Amino acid sequence: MTRMTMVQALNNALDIKMAEDERVYCLGEDIGWMGGDFGVTRGLFEKYGAERMRDTPLSEAAIIGAAVGSAVVGMRPVPEIMFADFITTCYDQLVNNAAKMHYMFDGQFKSPIVVRTACGAGFGGGPHHSQSVEGWFMNVSGLVIVAPSNPYDAKGLLIASIEDDNPILFLEHKALYRTKGEVPEEKYTVPIGKAKVLKEGVDVTLVASMKTVLDSMEAAAELEKEGISVEVIDLRTLRPWDHETVLDSVKKTGRAVVVNESPKMGGLAADVSAVISEEAFSELKAPVERVCALDTPIPFSLVLEKLIMPNKDDVVLAAKKTLK
Amino acid sequence: MQDVSPEFYLKMYRDMRLIRVFEQALEREFKKGNVPGMLHIGVGQEATLAAIANVLRTEDGLFPDHRCHGLLFLKGTPGKKIMAELFGRATGVCSGKGGSLHSADASVNNFGDNGVEGSFMVTALGVALGWKMHDTDRFAAVMVGDGTSGRGEWHESLNLAAAWKLPLLYCCVNNGYAISTPVGFSHATAELYEFARSYRMPAVQVDGNDLMACYEATLKAAEYIKEGNGPAFIEYKTWRWQGLFSGEFRPEEEVHYWKVEHEPLSMARAHILKKGIATEAELLELEQGVEQEIESWVSYAKESPMPDPAKATANVYVGWEVKAK
Repeated sequence: MTRMTMVQALNNALDIKMAEDERVYCLGEDIGWMGGDFGVTRGLFEKYGAERMRDTPLSEAAIIGAAVGSAVVGMRPVPEIMFADFITTCYDQLVNNAAKMHYMFDGQFKSPIVVRTACGAGFGGGPHHSQSVEGWFMNVSGLVIVAPSNPYDAKGLLIASIEDDNPILFLEHKALYRTKGEVPEEKYTVPIGKAKVLKEGVDVTLVASMKTVLDSMEAAAELEKEGISVEVIDLRTLRPWDHETVLDSVKKTGRAVVVNESPKMGGLAADVSAVISEEAFSELKAPVERVCALDTPIPFSLVLEKLIMPNKDDVVLAAKKTLK
Repeated sequence: MQDVSPEFYLKMYRDMRLIRVFEQALEREFKKGNVPGMLHIGVGQEATLAAIANVLRTEDGLFPDHRCHGLLFLKGTPGKKIMAELFGRATGVCSGKGGSLHSADASVNNFGDNGVEGSFMVTALGVALGWKMHDTDRFAAVMVGDGTSGRGEWHESLNLAAAWKLPLLYCCVNNGYAISTPVGFSHATAELYEFARSYRMPAVQVDGNDLMACYEATLKAAEYIKEGNGPAFIEYKTWRWQGLFSGEFRPEEEVHYWKVEHEPLSMARAHILKKGIATEAELLELEQGVEQEIESWVSYAKESPMPDPAKATANVYVGWEVKAK
């Protein structure tokens, strides 16, 4: 075990896969000799060269298109979209091509790409460098969304994603990049589609992902001081998310708070909440609560940004509401 | 002029004929309600399509566009499987799940059309990149219409293909109109090869109704690409017969020029007779054979079963299934 930041863990995962599989290559803006805007690909250019660490122009559609095309002929591309907000410019490539290719040609082609992208607010990035984009993709059949909350999962999930045959949107929350954790140096995988119970409890279930996992763990610690026993689930895969783990927990606690950083309307939290209501209604002791961002774009001012984003206090309040 | 054998010329003429009759049979069946969805046919563009088909090898790639059903079967897929796909039947090349705009066949390196015009122009970059990284001489033909030159992917694709010297042949079938809009009305230039020249790749304009002009230009570009020089671009100036849903919208003289004076099949046919490649009687026999072949594909499609209901939820993901209703 070594202590690594999430950036180092992701870098380590890419290094392991590129060393063992020649088909794996990266492409994106400034991912080559510069090592990526957040340093995730640092050192890989020196090790694997310009052919496998391809710097591209500011052509996101071409980045994803090239990734899909090369995946179809046997490569295992890991394209990077620098900021998740920019994904609007290659939305067609992901929605209409990557996600549908396997289905519309009835299994003749696969599109095993892993689109790494930096998402999330909290640093004054403003309206176009801060968004959480999972909601935009929740309706896209054929697409998988993976979203780690810590360095250990980040490495294991990235390796598993590169080895998976589905197109995967791999979300990396910027506020988590510098967080540290124990990470084995050798290769391992974390299963896609499996949530993790981070903390067991009996009174209320908090369902979170990425940065909201940290908020939820803090909220749980605060609630425990008041004698409330909290279970915290990290979804880890957002699409398709792990119904079984969430439902098992909610059937036990009878209460659920779903925490998500994107706006409430039509997003991940809406789906989780709906499934809980459909599948565990009779076990529920209170309506499901959702803690999400407000229905606004993300403002630049840190003061304003805080006012619209969900936080630990919101989670505490929502949990208490389910216990009233 | 390129020296081709009489047999080869006759073969290309037969391919043109297959395209014409296929499209007309398809239109007939569409009007009868036997073909679901929308109809985009390539009548009038046969010389361009037959020339391209006869340059591509099986190992080369094809990204077909909305008006090239002919290329789908000329690439090597049995024509009856293409017809059945357009009828939405189980025996179709994509089990009836793709239809006219999404008929791919991995076994002959046809990567399928895309509903969003030009979207696959960037997908083609990846196929070409993958082949280049594997050090092959394979290349892919990217079929695009004139209207596609307005899309961002057009320019992203040409730029990156040139920068990375990718083995791509852009086949721009300029039939004069994007649905109803004349090409020169909505683009900086109506001479679309000029766009490609600005991306520093060889780009030429040919008479898209002149079979040998199309064949020569395509062959030359393919040789250039196979030598590892990077992409090339050909603009085939042609004209589509299909008007709008509301009918013909173009000036009478224009229609007359393209449908009568400069019509690709009659031009090739006249060449055959003039050069003594075949006699009138032999041509009639060939043409009759084509009619019979296409009608056998139509019958096959009509008699084929509808898709298995299980196909509705099959192959969404690799590794797990979507639950049926």
